[in-house]
Amino acid sequence: MYNLSSFVQKAQQLLDPTQGLNLSDPDKNPSKASLFQSQFRLPSSQHPLYEITAELTIPPANATQGGKDRDTGFRYAGKLHISEAYLCFSTTGSSFVQSASTSTSSVFTGQTHGAGPGGNGFTFPLCAIRRVERLHSQNFQFALAITTWNGISQDAAKDKDKDKKDAREQRITLQLAGTRQACERFCDGLKKGLRAGVGNVGRLKKAVAECYSEYLLRPEDQKNANPPDVGLGMMFRYPGDVKKLRDRAKMRLWAEYLRDNGRNTTLLRQPTFHKLIRVGLPNRLRGEMWELTSGSIYLRLENPSLYTDTLAKFSGQESLAIDEIEKDLNRSLPEYPGFQSEEGIGRLRRVLTAYSWVDTDVGYCQAMNIVVAALLIYMSESQAFFLLSALCDRLVPGYYSTTMYGTLLDQKVFESLVERTMPILWEHLVKSDVQLSVVSLPWFLSLYINSMPLVFAFRVLDVFFVEGPKVLFQVGLAILRINGEELLDAADDGAFISVLKSYFARLDESAHPKSENPKLRAVTRFQELMVVAFKEFSGITHGSITELRLQNKNSVLNNIENFAKRTAIRNLGPDSKLLNADELGALYDRFYTVLYERQQRDLILKQEQARRVKSSRPRLGAMANSHDEAVEKGRVGLGPSTSLMDYDAFREFLAGMAKWAISDTPATPRRETFPEADRGFYGSVNKKSDVMLSPWGAGPEPADHEFLRRLFVKWDAGANAALTLQNVVTGLARIKGKRDILGIITYFFELHDDDGDGKVDREGILRMSEALLFLSRRGLEGTLSPSNSTLTLSTGGGSQGDVSGQSINERFLGSVSAFIRRCFEYADPDHPNNHFASPQQKQPLVEMDDDQLADPDAFSIGDDDDDEDDLLEMESPAASPKTGPRSHALDKQASSIRLDSMSTAPSNAPSNNRRVSKAQSERANIALDPSNPLHITLPTFRMVVLADELLEQFFESSFPASFHIIEGLQSSATASSSLTTFSNLGLGAGRAVGAAFGGAPGAQAPAGGRGLRGVLDNIVTDGMRVAQEVVRRMEEAQKELERNAVPGQRNDEEDDEEDDDPAPAGKSVAYRGDAERRSVRSSDRDLLAGVDAEASDVTVSAAGTRRASVGQGSNGDNQQGPAGGAGSKVVGVEFDG
Amino acid sequence: MADSAGAPRPSSSVKLVLLGEAAVGKSSLVLRFVNNDFQENKEPTIGAAFLTQKCNLPERTIKFEIWDTAGQERFASLAPMYYRNAQAALVVYDLTKPTSLIKAKHWVAELQRQATPGIVIALVGNKLDLTNDSAGSSGEGEGGGDDANDARKVPTEEAQTYAEQEDLLFFETSAKTGYNVTEVFTAIANAIPETSLKTARGPSGASGVNRSEEQRVNLNGPRDPNAKEGCAC
Ligand SMILES: Nc1nc2c(ncn2[C@@H]2O[C@H](COP(=O)(O)OP(=O)(O)OP(=O)(O)O)[C@@H](O)[C@H]2O)c(=O)[nH]1
Ligand SMILES: [Mg+2]
Repeated sequence: MYNLSSFVQKAQQLLDPTQGLNLSDPDKNPSKASLFQSQFRLPSSQHPLYEITAELTIPPANATQGGKDRDTGFRYAGKLHISEAYLCFSTTGSSFVQSASTSTSSVFTGQTHGAGPGGNGFTFPLCAIRRVERLHSQNFQFALAITTWNGISQDAAKDKDKDKKDAREQRITLQLAGTRQACERFCDGLKKGLRAGVGNVGRLKKAVAECYSEYLLRPEDQKNANPPDVGLGMMFRYPGDVKKLRDRAKMRLWAEYLRDNGRNTTLLRQPTFHKLIRVGLPNRLRGEMWELTSGSIYLRLENPSLYTDTLAKFSGQESLAIDEIEKDLNRSLPEYPGFQSEEGIGRLRRVLTAYSWVDTDVGYCQAMNIVVAALLIYMSESQAFFLLSALCDRLVPGYYSTTMYGTLLDQKVFESLVERTMPILWEHLVKSDVQLSVVSLPWFLSLYINSMPLVFAFRVLDVFFVEGPKVLFQVGLAILRINGEELLDAADDGAFISVLKSYFARLDESAHPKSENPKLRAVTRFQELMVVAFKEFSGITHGSITELRLQNKNSVLNNIENFAKRTAIRNLGPDSKLLNADELGALYDRFYTVLYERQQRDLILKQEQARRVKSSRPRLGAMANSHDEAVEKGRVGLGPSTSLMDYDAFREFLAGMAKWAISDTPATPRRETFPEADRGFYGSVNKKSDVMLSPWGAGPEPADHEFLRRLFVKWDAGANAALTLQNVVTGLARIKGKRDILGIITYFFELHDDDGDGKVDREGILRMSEALLFLSRRGLEGTLSPSNSTLTLSTGGGSQGDVSGQSINERFLGSVSAFIRRCFEYADPDHPNNHFASPQQKQPLVEMDDDQLADPDAFSIGDDDDDEDDLLEMESPAASPKTGPRSHALDKQASSIRLDSMSTAPSNAPSNNRRVSKAQSERANIALDPSNPLHITLPTFRMVVLADELLEQFFESSFPASFHIIEGLQSSATASSSLTTFSNLGLGAGRAVGAAFGGAPGAQAPAGGRGLRGVLDNIVTDGMRVAQEVVRRMEEAQKELERNAVPGQRNDEEDDEEDDDPAPAGKSVAYRGDAERRSVRSSDRDLLAGVDAEASDVTVSAAGTRRASVGQGSNGDNQQGPAGGAGSKVVGVEFDG
Repeated sequence: MADSAGAPRPSSSVKLVLLGEAAVGKSSLVLRFVNNDFQENKEPTIGAAFLTQKCNLPERTIKFEIWDTAGQERFASLAPMYYRNAQAALVVYDLTKPTSLIKAKHWVAELQRQATPGIVIALVGNKLDLTNDSAGSSGEGEGGGDDANDARKVPTEEAQTYAEQEDLLFFETSAKTGYNVTEVFTAIANAIPETSLKTARGPSGASGVNRSEEQRVNLNGPRDPNAKEGCAC
């Protein structure tokens, strides 16, 4: 069976999709850059350029206060990094070496496990650095003093005079530890960056002006200005009881911390910072801290006006997303007064709309309205806009995408975490058939905002933005553990849900109402929840989540894809009913596989190019990993990707299921680009990436023939220069679905009727015959009647050497030449006054009897006047089925006789044949005269086709059967190999065709341009030679085809110099070639298997790694007591606010 | 496995799922059925909502476990999670929105292929109050929209013919006025075959479980003082 997902998987294993979900294969290290960006929450434009070990010294708390105990200040050892626009320091010994994996990096990055600004340190935009001085230290080490633009938003003029003693001056020192050279290099890098950053100071000033801290820390005498917009809470109050939240106390603590350690972009992270966040942020600083810890402030800094620009740019435009947003505006946190007002609703509308424009892949997803509504209580529109972007891109990737794969994946991850940490509860859930995700999905999707009372949900968010998505899991697990006992009693979804509902409703109550200890009594259920989440489930790290995501990713994507496939197939229009379910399924798979593989190949090619460019000019600093750009795309389950097939993809698509769509003469981009690749064993490429690097992947190169182009244009109903799945299904259904010969004949005719006027001109006739030859050049398939031909051949005393397979192809050539001749014979002159006469000209053929056939001169073009009835009958398409069979029956006889005479001609009666043909050729020559424009109509075409048994069979069976939708070409290879023997036709066919035009067998036309096109053009000027030329070219094409099929067997130099090969040699080559072609295929498969083998090795070792780390994780959990011991309640008071 | 042997009427639970385009009124129908209430600004459903309601039939009591799903297109891939094991489905469309009927047909096809075999499906055209033949007048309007101010866009016959073809129950309702709402659920309750009730919740549907289910229903009760009255039948 043809399976999309296995292909997809294979293709995926050739890739390193490190970005997006951060789902890198742990053994294929996540790129240094992505770790760096994650740790410091920097935009994807930032790469770690230089790094050095350093010691950070933060001077005594407040220089002006000159504290006694704090004289020495604080010292932190860690790593200092420079990126394009940032200077970052973290105590968590960074592990951004090439060999770092997610798990090793999490060892160093402390609390946030590599997923956030963990540890102590800072993330300074270079433009926020005002001055860097080199200090002379005694031990000849490099020491830098860094002064920042802390408080830059305040009036600069006033500050100038009191610059020195200004409390807000922030100065830190950094002692670099490294070789002199390393230090110098680092300092050079810093200098360069600083110089580049100078221009951004203005932008920085503008960006930080929106931060509340700037207002908060202003000296009292300057507080006249209005505070910046920090959300709807300023107007409509913040949720919760300010007293209960101890908001003022928190604000004081924060004011002190910010005074000592800098604010917003110049903030220094010290242990107190993390503690202050855990106890809950004060209302007015919440928005700023969210954007700082999530890193969205750096996005805003990068493009401060993006929000307003976007709104302006798309103002007045409409979209599906906007309709969906509009539906939900009144239904977002309706209990908060701000969202009962136009002000709040307007803000919500603008942020959601602006985001839907910048991220069209996501657009709008229900639940985003709730999340954004929550954000807007604490931050400005623009801040919320960028924070939403950080959410969708980094914090909860894929949650809101069109397939919601991130949501589904994290549900799977959550389930497996529950299974591991609370096996008893898990078992109970399974037994009572409760589906956990039914309960937990809304928790994750709306970040608990809809599940808990708002004040508590915001506390969760406070931690979530610093520590990352693992927080959602930790809180979820803690909820289940705390309620474990009751949940074990719940026997169905309903009971399960009601236990949790009532738990959430009582989060503010005491966790231990009956305790003697007043301190214990004071602990609320929410505090208990936080403690359980972060203490008991401290083993849940970013690394373990990443690994679980990786494990479950494929099954989740497969589920989504199966659903998508089912839905897509079901929603195909009525045409799809003409194909059966298997065919539709296979078409769907083929369609998306081609698109997906092409996308991956494209990506790899680009990376390869980038790699080559890079390696050609190695630069130490530019370590930007090429994998950074390896955003995984194209997989249906990941959301919107290409669902449009362009012409090249269409060719590849056809080449996968129709042998005529495979190129005879592979243009050799593969060889040009990768000369070394094609010379290996059997000329096959043997490195997996090289397979992907070939422009056509592992498949054969598709042909590029006019017929393909016509088919593409015809299928492209919307004229988009691209096909949808629907287009492809409709297109194929018309060919393959009806099993209706007249329909297919009509289809073929229309394919060549460019202007749709029901007429095909001389050129068109040639194109049609060319197409027939193109389609048949690898042999005919379907139900043909070889016995019939053998019979007639032998009665005519034909040669005994003819084997049925050959004779069919031979006969088909004859049929095509007869087709050309007849078309011209019965064509209508292209004069306006003859238009109405045209249908009548077909009449003779229908009424033709054997005598007339024997003597073609007995009738002539347009000499018959028929009555109106017949005219109508012939013209009306509705009537044609009636007419068809009649003429068809007559012609069947006629054609077999004629065929007989033609086929016998070469061996037996050349002179006789020539006599007949001579008369014909004269007539044909009139028709061929380009000065007499002519055309055929559909009825003529139909009759000409039906006049020939083989042509009839071609349209009835062969052509539809040539599309191997389900089994593809691989499995049909055996069947086709016996047919692919054109060269076997030898001279016989040549003479047959030649004879049809009365040509001399030996006549040779100069080789025209490549392909049949040029040859067929000659027909206009010399009808006599054409047929032979056609055959000659066919044979050449065949030889070439065989040569190309065995590149390993033959030297490439021979490629184009073999035109003069004598036929017998060609014949033997053909046999060999045929066998070799099959063996090449199987060796290809071996290669694929090799890739598989490698990939599975990788998987095995990855699994090993996973097991190891999971083992650690569960050990850690086990120490907390028996897993699933739902009653165990851990008490702690560290987090009381 | 006798269901609560001594009880006057055997009671069994039926899992019912609501599917349909966003904002056709799925949650409103459930709210009307469960709480006999209607809200003009109903929050969109995130993922799914779960509610229960009993329906008393002469012969037995059916307890509906109602899964109300989110209608936005992208939530569709979550639906299999919710219609898994469902014995009944309410596929809702909006009488004033032709596209919603197309979506409803997609859901019917999906259910027929993927859901529990023999699932009872009811096709429900909601928001009848926005049409002329609204609540009170006969549900079987003769020709659909006759008047200019009639918001009906889907003629009764069109949906009815389709429902007959596919062997679905068919109703036109208004969650706003309550017209025909309980009728839908009663009809579903009647249509559930006796045999499928016995095996309703698989092996875990044992008597002990049933007892605790009963309690849970009461736990749910506070939200919903009218719940015990069941449907009007
Ligand atoms: N006039 C009228 N309005 C209705 C009716 N039923 C629902 N509505 C309104 O339609 C809107 C959507 O109703 P919901 O019940 O939330 O729709 P839903 O199908 O649950 O929507 P999602 O949860 O987003 O899938 C609300 O504003 C309702 O007030 C009805 O019978 N008549
Ligand atoms: Mg709803």
